[in-house]
Amino acid sequence: MLRVLMISLILICSGCARLDHIQISDIDQSQGDLRPISVKLSDTGFNASEAVAITSELAQSESAKENLGDLAAILALINMGPSTGNPVYNDRYAENILLQLHQQCPTGKITALRNIREARSYGPVSGEIVRIDADCIL
Amino acid sequence: MKKLFVILSSLIAISVLSGCVSLNSVSLTQLPKERDHLVSATASDLVFLGFTTQNDFVDEAIESLKAQCRGGKLTGILTKHQTTAYVLVFKREVIASGYCNIAEA
Repeated sequence: MLRVLMISLILICSGCARLDHIQISDIDQSQGDLRPISVKLSDTGFNASEAVAITSELAQSESAKENLGDLAAILALINMGPSTGNPVYNDRYAENILLQLHQQCPTGKITALRNIREARSYGPVSGEIVRIDADCIL
Repeated sequence: MKKLFVILSSLIAISVLSGCVSLNSVSLTQLPKERDHLVSATASDLVFLGFTTQNDFVDEAIESLKAQCRGGKLTGILTKHQTTAYVLVFKREVIASGYCNIAEA
């Protein structure tokens, strides 16, 4: 019971924001008034190794614990390498960002672009987010 | 006395060794010819054990940059995103600087 409570607490507390990258573009305030616009696209990231490791902690029998622990290690090895956030299953989720940005700015003049790569993490599951904040020149 | 020395040494070692900066990302935009008026802004927040629910502190840097170049054009913007680790606490920081050019009427 205590173990379940502890794991639940960890999962709740890990509902955290993560900031991976930010880039700010040129800011032009000389051409007119600015209206803030924002586009956010996200996909679900899943850390299979972490999920199996949690399951392993919850397992009752020692042999199940051991087997799940081995599986978690194998999954961790498979996904080893440089990465930003959890793996997602769709590598094209951020492709429509430019179109959506233009839809919010009819004049087509966009300045002060902030490219933000962030995530909301809930234990082994996360929302991998690409956000563009900008200003539309009116 | 020896115990006190060990504790103090450990505390100093932890403080010094854990105050490490990691540079998450750096970006630079096109540089202008006129580079006389440099403006800069910093925004940061402190998070305990990495638990936080927002990244809104970033907006402070943008607003500060805009305020320092009203009616002008900011180019050559260098953006650094870095994290400093202290004991159990992390400082997330965005440092931005750029050149402000205001066109004369």
